[in-house]
Amino acid sequence: MRPIGIEALDVHPGLLQIAASDVFAGRGLDAGRFGNLTMSRRSVALPFEDPVTNAVNAAAPLLDRLGPDVRDRIELLVTTSESGIDYSKSIASYVHRYLGLGRNCRLVEMKQACYSATAALQLALAQTASGFSEGAKALVVATDVSLADARAEYAEPATGTGAVAMLVGDEPRVLTVDQGAFGTYSFETLDSARPAPDLDIADVDRSLLAYLECLGGSFADYCSRVEGADFVRTFDHLAMHTPFAGMVKAGHRRMMRELGAAAGPEVEADFARRVAPSLVYPGEVGNLFSGSLYLALAALIDQVRPADPARVGLFSYGSGCSSEFFSGVIGADSTAALAETRIAERIAGRGRLDFAEYDALLDETRGCLRPDRHRRVDHEPHLALLDRVVDRPKILALAAIEDYHRRYEWI
Amino acid sequence: MSDLTRTQVFDTLRRNALDVVPELDPAAFAAERTLSELGCNSIDRAEIVTLTMEELGIVVPVHEFQQGYDIATLVDVMLKHA
Repeated sequence: MRPIGIEALDVHPGLLQIAASDVFAGRGLDAGRFGNLTMSRRSVALPFEDPVTNAVNAAAPLLDRLGPDVRDRIELLVTTSESGIDYSKSIASYVHRYLGLGRNCRLVEMKQACYSATAALQLALAQTASGFSEGAKALVVATDVSLADARAEYAEPATGTGAVAMLVGDEPRVLTVDQGAFGTYSFETLDSARPAPDLDIADVDRSLLAYLECLGGSFADYCSRVEGADFVRTFDHLAMHTPFAGMVKAGHRRMMRELGAAAGPEVEADFARRVAPSLVYPGEVGNLFSGSLYLALAALIDQVRPADPARVGLFSYGSGCSSEFFSGVIGADSTAALAETRIAERIAGRGRLDFAEYDALLDETRGCLRPDRHRRVDHEPHLALLDRVVDRPKILALAAIEDYHRRYEWI
Repeated sequence: MSDLTRTQVFDTLRRNALDVVPELDPAAFAAERTLSELGCNSIDRAEIVTLTMEELGIVVPVHEFQQGYDIATLVDVMLKHA
C-alpha cells in the first residue's frame, strides 16, 4: 500500500498572549484550581483577526515553503470550524482567495465542534487513496476563535485562538497514517455548543463524561479493526484533543485502568513518557477547538524529535458528539518537517498582554463572528500591540465588512 | 433492574470520592451536597462517577448527567439504570 498522510503542517498560534495566572487573578478565580488546568499562557486575538485570517496566517507560510508546484496541485480545500461567519458562504471560499489557490479546487467548510478537522483529514486521505487524481493534494485548515470571557469561568484561561493547516497527500513527511486503522464513536448529546455568534455554552460534567465515553468507545472500535491493538503497547506516543491538560490526563488514566490494569505511579510514568510531550503547545496556546489535536501532534513531534519511526495513537473528540481514534507513524522526516515551521519560536515571540489590556480587547473581539452588514475595522489603535510580537510576519487582517462581504488586507 | 439499593450506590460513590480526593471530609459527604461543594473539581467528579458506574456495572447515558447535581440526584440517576 502506498503511504499517505500529512505532508506538511503549520500553526498560527496567535500573535498575543496572556499568562493563565493573570486571567485567574483578574477574574478572581480560585487559585486552588489552577493546577487542574495545567496552562501557562493562552493566545488572544486582535479585533482584526477572525477564522479567515487565522486560517490564512497558518497556511500561507506552509505554502510559501513548498513552492508553486505543490500549491498548484491542491484540489481540495477544507476549512473546519465551530466559528462560522455565515450560514451559507464558507470560510474556505475566503481562504481560497487570500491564499491564491487555483480555480480547479473543491471548497468546503465542515463543522462538528472540535472533531471536524479529523473528518476533513479522513476526506482528504480518501481523495489521496482513491487515486482518482494522481498526485493531487488536499489542504485542511482547522480554524477557530475564542469567545470566552468572564462567563466561561474556568474555561476562560484555557481557551485559545488560532489555526492549524495540514497538507495531505501521498508524500507524507509529518504523519504516515495507518490505513484502515481507525475507530469511531458518536451519539447525540448537548455537552457544549455555540448557539449564537457570540455565545458559548457548556456543561462541564456532561462534556467530560462524553469525552471519556468516546475515548473508550472509539478505541474499542479501533481494536475491532486492528488485530492485536493494545492501548499500552501498540503506541509509542499518544496525542489527544486537548481542551485542557486535565481532561487528557483523566482520559489516559481511565484507559490505563481499564485496559492496562495499571494504577498510581505506573500510570503517572506512562503519562509523562507517552502523553505529556503533546501538551506543551496546548498549554501555551489554549484550546484551539478543531485544531486542538493537531496542535498536540505538532508539540509531540517537536518535543520528542523522533529519529526513528514511532507509532502515535490519536484521539479526536468534538462535542455533540463525534469522536475517532486512529494512528500513524512519525519519524526523522517529521522532526525535520516540523523544525522548518519554528512553531516554538513563534509561540515564544507572541506579545504579552496584561489583564486590563486583555479585558479591553474582549469587548471588540467578542463580536468577531457577528454577521454585520457593515463594519469598519480600524487597525491603528492596535498597531502598538503588534510591535510587541518578535519577528512578526506579514499577516492577513480583516479590514472591513461591506454589504456582508468581508474584505481583508495584508499588514 | 438489579437489587442495588440506594445505600449501596451512595456508599460506592462516597468510597470512590474519598479515593479520588483523599482530603475530602467523609462527614461532609451528604445527600443534599454537590461534589463540587465538597471540593471536587470537574476531573475529580468525572472520575468518581465513572469509577462508580464501572464498579456497579451501570451505564447511564451521558445526556442524563448535568453539572450541579447533588449527591442524592446522582444516586437517583444511577439507580434508574441499575
